[in-house]
Amino acid sequence: MKNLIKYEFRKTWNTKMIILGIAAFAEVAFLVSLYLNLEEINGLSIFALTMLAFGGVMFIGIQSVLTMHQDMNTRQGYMLYMTPNSCFKILGGKVLENGLSIFAAGAFFFALGALDVTLLVAHLGQLQELINVVNSFAKQLSMELPLNAEFFGLLALNFLCTWLNVVNTAYLADVVATCLLSGKKHNGWIGLLLFLVISGAMSALQQAITKGMAWQPMLIWDAVIALACAAVMYAATAFLMDRHLSV
Amino acid sequence: MLRSEELTKAFGAKTAVDHVNLRLEAGHICAMLGPNGSGKTTWMKMAAGLCKPTSGTVYFEGEPVGVNSRASIAYMSTEPYFYTWMTLKDVGRYYGDFFADYSAERYRELLDRFELEEGLKTKTLSSGMMAKAKIAVTLARDAKVWMLDEPFNGIDLVARDRIKEAIISAAAPDKLLLMSSHLVEEMESIADRAVFLRKGKLIKEVDIDTERAETGCSIADEYRRIYGGQEEEDA
Amino acid sequence: MEFNASSPIWMQVTTRIKTDMVTGRLPPGAKLPGGRDLALQYTINPNTAARVYQELEKEGLVEIRRGMGTYVTETPERLEALRSEMACEAMEDYLERMAALGFSRAEAITRISQEDEHAQE
Repeated sequence: MKNLIKYEFRKTWNTKMIILGIAAFAEVAFLVSLYLNLEEINGLSIFALTMLAFGGVMFIGIQSVLTMHQDMNTRQGYMLYMTPNSCFKILGGKVLENGLSIFAAGAFFFALGALDVTLLVAHLGQLQELINVVNSFAKQLSMELPLNAEFFGLLALNFLCTWLNVVNTAYLADVVATCLLSGKKHNGWIGLLLFLVISGAMSALQQAITKGMAWQPMLIWDAVIALACAAVMYAATAFLMDRHLSV
Repeated sequence: MLRSEELTKAFGAKTAVDHVNLRLEAGHICAMLGPNGSGKTTWMKMAAGLCKPTSGTVYFEGEPVGVNSRASIAYMSTEPYFYTWMTLKDVGRYYGDFFADYSAERYRELLDRFELEEGLKTKTLSSGMMAKAKIAVTLARDAKVWMLDEPFNGIDLVARDRIKEAIISAAAPDKLLLMSSHLVEEMESIADRAVFLRKGKLIKEVDIDTERAETGCSIADEYRRIYGGQEEEDA
Repeated sequence: MEFNASSPIWMQVTTRIKTDMVTGRLPPGAKLPGGRDLALQYTINPNTAARVYQELEKEGLVEIRRGMGTYVTETPERLEALRSEMACEAMEDYLERMAALGFSRAEAITRISQEDEHAQE
């Protein structure tokens, strides 16, 4: 398993390094502009870091799906599937590597964000003002949001778990399109449709379960349900691969 | 050792392998012959556990092939399949990470024999170099069965002799070597058994020297007789 | 070594080794390569190489000493007999080919002594 994870990481580390590189560049821009009071550049770098945090995590997931697709549809797949490992292990390696990468990237950007906000506040002393603006905006939408570290932490966790689930659902849809519908017309579109239907069903399930909950248990339950769904997706995908995958 | 029963693989309307019953024993170098599209590659991929049959089963030492048999059956596909980011050294490490029967020493020895450097990037290899690298890393496994799909494709005359030597060295009474080729002459002297496939069906199995003694026919003659006038089929 | 298509490879390799014995390239008592090395030397299947030694042993031309290797026989009579067997085969071969060209046995024999005189002149 260690080796499977190692090579899954090796296949995707280029883009991960690129994301880190861009983050480092934006962070330097942020620090320099903060120090020199270059407001426009500072605003731009905050925007870039925020986009990169979400975009980076999402791209890591998307790339994992693309790698999976390549491993089923090109000769490179021989390299993976000729090893004496079951599909459960092989897919497990992919899911674990991707999960670890997504959470590592999430933790990295969360820590970076916390650091930058702290620096910003120390420099400008305007955090309370900012929170008041957001809160009054939220009040208009008749929501009561506590803008504290716990809230943001849970929100980030929720986002990461949900995204992990989306990635696993995409694995399943891809495997269905590749293994069960191979050679059939429009198999890609059917796979996409399946992905949308499952995603819709899962978010309906989440809403049904967490209906009426306060924000705290809601965010936790959402994350737990997403992880549980991801586990089900993994098992279903590996089961299908085990019985039907031909590379 | 390796046996297929009523093995069939259909791709849509085309049947690539058609109810093939084949039994291959250890201690032989067996040539699998037939023009392109006769089902050699598909048969091997099913035996390697890479491809699921439409019906029928391949057995290795009495058990259906699967995850476990992959530890003992070394398969070399005819197309390049290494990850593009790899150097030849990485390829060796990869095999070492996944196959208990792999020998790094044997790999280096074979690379030397084929005049390949470990530092070469797989992306930059010529087709002949790639073909040699694939054989080197596959034969570096002390597998029970080696299946080499078109090992002489794209390889010059001198290197072909090197490869034949490596194959002869690997052969042993408890090992099976199966090689597919449409370059029949190359198989003539090193194989002792031959199976002929045509349009997915098993046409004939022969003991090469017995065939020569009884009919005065080489397998090249036999090949011409079986496939005479038939040009390459659709792959 | 190039093999012709019509006779078994083990037979062709056997004939080659016999020739080497008769010409002295493989003298009596000489050690022959191991089975795998023979296979590598002629680029033939190892089972074919084993068959070659079995046939040579059957004809009393080599001795397989357990754990030691395979040696050319040291019985001079056996090698002498091999020499005349091979000479007979060559003559038969010649006569057959002349017959195929329409020469009688007597004509074939006359032709070869004439050829010999020409060569001596």
